[in-house]
Amino acid sequence: MTERLDKHILKNGMVLLGEPMEAVRSVAFGFMLPGGAARLPDGCCGAGSIITDWIFRGAGDRNSRKLGDALDGLGLHRASSVGSSHIGVGAALENENLSQALDLYADIILEPHLKDDQFELAKQLAIDSVHALDDDPRHKVMLKLREKFYPSPLGRSTLGNIDELTALTAKSTKAIIKDKFNLSETTFAVAGKYDFDAVATQVESLFETGRKKALEPVTLGAKAGKYTHIDSDGAQVHIGLMTETVKPTDEDYYNAMVGVSVLSGGMSTRLFTEVREKRGLCYAIGARYHGLKDAAGIMCYAGTTPENGQETVDCVIGEFNRLSEGISEEEIQRAKVGLKSSLIMQSESSSSRAGGIASDYYMFGRVRSLDEIKSKVEATSVDSVLGFLRDNKFKDFTVVTIGPKEVKVK
Amino acid sequence: MEFKQHKLANDLSLIGEVNKSAKSAAVGVFVKTGARDESEQINGVSHFLEHMLFKGTERLSALQVNEAFDRTGADFNAATSEENTFFYARVLPEYLVEVTKLWIELMRPSLRDDDFDIEKNVIKEEIAMYKDLPSFDVMDRCRSLHFDSHPCGNSVLGSEDSITNLTAEQMRDYFAKRYAPNNMVLACAGNFDWGQICSIAEETCGNWQKQDVVRELGHCPGSKKKERIEKPNLAREHICLMSAGVSAQDPRRFAASLLGTIVGDDVGSRFFWELVDKALAEAAVMQFGAMDGTGVFHSYIRCSSENVAKVLEVVKDIFGGLSSGGITKDDLRKAKNKILSSLVIKNELPMGRLLDLGFNWIYLEQYRTVEEDIEAIKAVTVDYVHSLIEQFELGDFTQLSIGP
Repeated sequence: MTERLDKHILKNGMVLLGEPMEAVRSVAFGFMLPGGAARLPDGCCGAGSIITDWIFRGAGDRNSRKLGDALDGLGLHRASSVGSSHIGVGAALENENLSQALDLYADIILEPHLKDDQFELAKQLAIDSVHALDDDPRHKVMLKLREKFYPSPLGRSTLGNIDELTALTAKSTKAIIKDKFNLSETTFAVAGKYDFDAVATQVESLFETGRKKALEPVTLGAKAGKYTHIDSDGAQVHIGLMTETVKPTDEDYYNAMVGVSVLSGGMSTRLFTEVREKRGLCYAIGARYHGLKDAAGIMCYAGTTPENGQETVDCVIGEFNRLSEGISEEEIQRAKVGLKSSLIMQSESSSSRAGGIASDYYMFGRVRSLDEIKSKVEATSVDSVLGFLRDNKFKDFTVVTIGPKEVKVK
Repeated sequence: MEFKQHKLANDLSLIGEVNKSAKSAAVGVFVKTGARDESEQINGVSHFLEHMLFKGTERLSALQVNEAFDRTGADFNAATSEENTFFYARVLPEYLVEVTKLWIELMRPSLRDDDFDIEKNVIKEEIAMYKDLPSFDVMDRCRSLHFDSHPCGNSVLGSEDSITNLTAEQMRDYFAKRYAPNNMVLACAGNFDWGQICSIAEETCGNWQKQDVVRELGHCPGSKKKERIEKPNLAREHICLMSAGVSAQDPRRFAASLLGTIVGDDVGSRFFWELVDKALAEAAVMQFGAMDGTGVFHSYIRCSSENVAKVLEVVKDIFGGLSSGGITKDDLRKAKNKILSSLVIKNELPMGRLLDLGFNWIYLEQYRTVEEDIEAIKAVTVDYVHSLIEQFELGDFTQLSIGP
């Protein structure tokens, strides 16, 4: 989604991407390292959560405190994340500090100290985050939902589980970092105000090390189940629901996106109107497309008081199924305008563009232009969306609930 | 960037900052009303009313309102706090006029009984949702404890009881008193035509009846009470600390927010190095919140039950260390860099600009450029922060915890 794309590939295979933005003073950058939860060895669930903390606890010639102070001194806003396929580390900052920030991030990625005492602290915090999930049922239900919906190991919890986190050692985690911080499969993306020649020269001098190394393929296992309930004495039943749809690379991807928008793109859409506006069942209700490279689904969350749980689930599934029965021209038009507007509005933020070009490159092997996406959205119609929905009827729903009362999934 | 302003004869303020190179535009209606303007009997009405504004007018049903917004591809919503209700939409420039007309129309809603009854259920669901979010619940309860009898302690959502007992008639009465032109600001930012917005406002808001709305202000030193609520279903201890700070009108607000960053930014702060880095707490943040005529420093800490005593001891040492040793030049330099870069990044988006534009007008009736704010932050000295620390004892706080 860009008007101009800068690109350079290092000899070791690392890909550098850039999207210049005229109107901003900020710059955002990120490294996508192939160490996401699905790529971890069995029994190491949650290692990513430890790693994104541990690598910041001292690197290059700076100890943990000095490294933290140096990052803060540049006024940068750190953004680390663990996904299914990648670990992301990056930041947003004012453009004049970019070069110094890249030097620091090279240390963090290539020369982290990985001291044993610091490992124990990072591990404790990772374990605490899993405990804290019990006090955030809305977040927990969606993590569980991914785990149950995707074929193993794609949906593995990015936060991990207590047993496997407890079993991890500094030695085993170091081995994961060594194996997964594979530069030949790493993408670096930058967006905002920058000089690409200068960035490329600097990144090349810092990261042109190591040999090309292919990734091990991920073997997919079975899905974990249809309905899971976790009993909890809360005020609401938190419902997560997901059903299969086409992957981002599928030719019907844009039909699926428009279809999801008719279901839940704005406040006039099906789920909001039927579940909240007409029946007053929920405050929070919404569905969105969730795509990985190897599988994708439509993911829905609803939170409601226990006595309304069953009616909410029935109503939501009813709306999913009703979608292929008919969609009006007006609904399609609203969905298209919504998708195109949010696309353009996202393009104003350097952070969202740096993330966008990196994930496009991973998903599609290239970065889609804004015009390409707009014209593909524009090319959808009532007929194409309905045709897609009728050929790909929603079959199985994976449902997870957390709360004081179970529901029945028909 | 070009600033524009105009006041209608009925005292409605219109303001705008035009940036023709922006790819989007944002519009907001800022209403100076919130939980602090409610009596106990109608607690929660401001927030409920915010929901009801989406339910339409004599001309539009709720579904028609939602359809009209979605036709513009808007990212739109509203929010209610202790002292403001804020409605906004972010759109592509070609839709700004349409979406502005829509917001203006909705500012004179029908508030129908049947819509009121259905939406009451949604509000109760929202109350239930936040009950399941202890990180929110603890802040809400601590605010009430801290502000004690001061109206800023009123809950924004209200309680299950206050919402059950609230009538549509009471809401209509509250609306008539608070949504007066002199209590509202219509603001736009980004790529839009100022002349067009002005003439639309003249034409459609000109007949809103002029009236006087005032809010009584008063600083609150805080109750400094300490309480704990036991909830056996929780896994962690959630702790909120609150102490008095300067107001949104006070020039020292920039120093106060730097102090908040030094003490409790999510990384690199004193809380971070002493509590999070050492794995005593998995979250420990402090922020400064400027309010109308008053202000608060509020901290949120989450840890295991076993670590509570140790965590509170460390917090005491951190606050004690501030009083005895103050901050260093280097502390201040890092905090400034963080706040300045946030400011730049936020204001690159018309939506971010709209927020500063609108709230500066609500609190100060003043236009401030991003550069003026940058200069004000750069001008803060170590001594300036020290005088704040001396006057506002951070260690003398109200404390509320919720845990198993």
